[in-house]
Amino acid sequence: MTAEVKEQNLKTDEMIINMGPQHPATHGVLRLILTLDGEFVKHAEPVLGHLHRAQEWQGQNRTWFQYQALIDRVDYLSGMHTSWAMARAAEVLDECEVPERAEYLRVLVSEMNRISSHLLWLGTYLIDLGAMFGFPFYPFREREKLLDLFEEIAGQRMMFNYIRIGGVQRDPKPDWFRRLREFTREFPDRVDEYEAIVTENPIFLKRTKGVGVLPLKLGQDYGVTGPSLRASGTDYDLRRRKPYSIYPKLDFKVHWLDKPEGGDTWDRYILRVREMRESNEIIKQVLDMIPEGGEIMAKKQNAGLRVKAGEGFSAIESPRGILGCYIISNGSDKAVRIKWRNPSFCNLSILPALLVGHPIADVMAIFGSIDVILPDVDR
Amino acid sequence: MTNLPEILKLSRLVMVWLTLIFVPVWGACWLVGIALPWLLVERVPAMLGDAVAPPWVMFVADLCRFLTPVVSIMVFIPINAMFMVLFERRALAIFTVRKGPNRTLLDGLAQTFADALKLLFKEDITPRGADAVMFTLAPIIFFAPSIFGALPLLAAVTNNHALFQIANVPTGIFYVLASASVPVVALVMAGWSSNNKYSLVGGLRSAAQAISYEIPLVLSIVTVCLLAGTLDVVQIANQQHGGFLNWNLFGGGALTGLDKYLAAFLSGASTEGILAQYYPHGFWSAAATVVLAIATFILFGLYLTGACAEINRIPFDLPEAESELVSGYNTEYSGIKFAIFFLAEFTNLFVVASIATVMFLGGGDNIIPVYLLDNPIMHELSSLLAGALSFLINLQIVDPTTFWAAVWVIIKVYSIVFFAILVRGTLPRFRIDQLMDFGWKRLIPLSLIAFLVVVFARVAVVCHG
Repeated sequence: MTAEVKEQNLKTDEMIINMGPQHPATHGVLRLILTLDGEFVKHAEPVLGHLHRAQEWQGQNRTWFQYQALIDRVDYLSGMHTSWAMARAAEVLDECEVPERAEYLRVLVSEMNRISSHLLWLGTYLIDLGAMFGFPFYPFREREKLLDLFEEIAGQRMMFNYIRIGGVQRDPKPDWFRRLREFTREFPDRVDEYEAIVTENPIFLKRTKGVGVLPLKLGQDYGVTGPSLRASGTDYDLRRRKPYSIYPKLDFKVHWLDKPEGGDTWDRYILRVREMRESNEIIKQVLDMIPEGGEIMAKKQNAGLRVKAGEGFSAIESPRGILGCYIISNGSDKAVRIKWRNPSFCNLSILPALLVGHPIADVMAIFGSIDVILPDVDR
Repeated sequence: MTNLPEILKLSRLVMVWLTLIFVPVWGACWLVGIALPWLLVERVPAMLGDAVAPPWVMFVADLCRFLTPVVSIMVFIPINAMFMVLFERRALAIFTVRKGPNRTLLDGLAQTFADALKLLFKEDITPRGADAVMFTLAPIIFFAPSIFGALPLLAAVTNNHALFQIANVPTGIFYVLASASVPVVALVMAGWSSNNKYSLVGGLRSAAQAISYEIPLVLSIVTVCLLAGTLDVVQIANQQHGGFLNWNLFGGGALTGLDKYLAAFLSGASTEGILAQYYPHGFWSAAATVVLAIATFILFGLYLTGACAEINRIPFDLPEAESELVSGYNTEYSGIKFAIFFLAEFTNLFVVASIATVMFLGGGDNIIPVYLLDNPIMHELSSLLAGALSFLINLQIVDPTTFWAAVWVIIKVYSIVFFAILVRGTLPRFRIDQLMDFGWKRLIPLSLIAFLVVVFARVAVVCHG
């Protein structure tokens, strides 16, 4: 019997595994239908919609004032950015001038939120790789300090409702700035600490190097944005490409890796770590530049909040990529149409292409590395 | 060092907890093995009016003595496993800047007891389509070997106490390793019978992993047996007595000559000929000693790595990889069956740590060489202590040599357990193909090389005198 015949006699069946919606590692309720050949993925199909909350429809059935409080929930890890995207869209339409101090505060809180979002990603990503205890809790320690700061200015730790149409809600006390300065002073040391444990860890390198390579062209075709794309060889960052708010005045670096053949999961990890450091620098700058006193809100915040008739769009750079908000208003207290361009949804679409050919153990390593928030996917 | 107060607190608590655990265990042993036979042999004849005990009384007394090791293991293993779960949770809590379970009785002592009790009352679910018999048998087959595999180690860790000698077998370590490899059958059974794809993959992974990592594990133990010249765990432990230079971890007995020389030198006795006796070939003996010292360290590392893989601990916990396989082979288990799986895992950890202690760390041997303790103050202290405890010693409740052996064993075993917890708190997990590569391409060649090196290096040195 030749080897070929033997091979034909050896019947191997494909196995279909339903990963999720209840699975400890899917970060929420994503369902992945994986067709496995042995341990290797032959085909992957994400099934969305388990967390669909009709966020866009709600925007058309709530007043502007009510809807502002809802949209933090879309991407619950970077509520500041979702609030900001919608506020900016409305302001563009309204031709409303945002007070300067409010713009500085917006940049401040959104960069803080970028750090806290990346910190949570770092912790959970290590859990995805199987470091169940120990390290994953350290980023949470720093995140806790940021959440305390958010709580003081917004009254909430994650659903801030802080950035509103026309400005920001509260002016922080001087002590708040002092505590933030303290945080920015010690934060680089903490990041050094994480890097000391993770970056050169041989098991971590083995699990992430060369895994889930995302070529630049493929990423652009699928509409991937944010750190996941910047790790694959482009410096596409809205803060630099289409500057908004006070970003033109700031001196900051857009981190990206020159890897046209594609970045792997380790590249996406290191890029996020660098972004955290850069956000910290931005916060320091803003703390030095922020004007004292003055208005922080240009529109009255009550049930009578109106936006002029017309169409407005704005996009900002959220921790996960480009977050766009498109609104159509007829001048009444409700929007006629609201459409979100969510980075998580577009980033998730790359998943089937990335997973094929990888063993089942890498599914979570790859899925975690593109940093998807499920409510942001399903809205 | 911000965690220092927490660490000190945990160390104090561990001391209290361990005392609370070991006192009743020893109490049970004493009752069954010493008090009851004594009553039977000394008192029953008087009551019956006989001068000598009738044969049936002698038989019952012997039976009691015979059962002592079993009783001690049956009492000790579950309590100890519960304690280890608690210890691990508290230690991990410190690593992760948390508090850990600290509410239930004496700062959390009863937490695992409460958890186990809760699991006992949970509904015991057998999934539809599962093979009910196999499904029920799997946790039992998983737990039983870890209980009875530990039996031969008892005599070795208690300094060959009369009560536990009966459990010793001439091929002890062979028996221990053989029984340690049975649980993998249970994991495959659990995975196969659960009627769940995740469980199946977990079970098959565990089979592949256990087979690959058992080879370096056994080879490292075999090498130590080669150095010791015996498979009897009591003999292996006894050879290493007399301070850390005699331990298998440090040269596998090759440093015994040095130890003897130091002892003679410090006591002022003649050091003539000691080195020549132990290191007969001059330079070659010295070189062989260095090689052996390095080789045994590598063997210890190999053993710990293999053991971690054998008992499915991070970074080798692929059979229950949570982020991939939900919970692996025990996904479908609930209630008391799950509790048995859980306790058995910790018992396995304890057993492999005990094997490491006996094979590498001198069992119940004092870490400080005897000749350093050989001074008037220590003699005075020990006689004072013996005087104070004379009542207990007369009743054989306290046996000084066994007591100190037990203390050292506990320290050593729990140091290894703590090391495993530390690793768990630090490392991510391997991928299955990387795990296989690491096992077959690195560990197995390395263990074979170490084996060969030891075979040749041993010729030039007199080991263990």
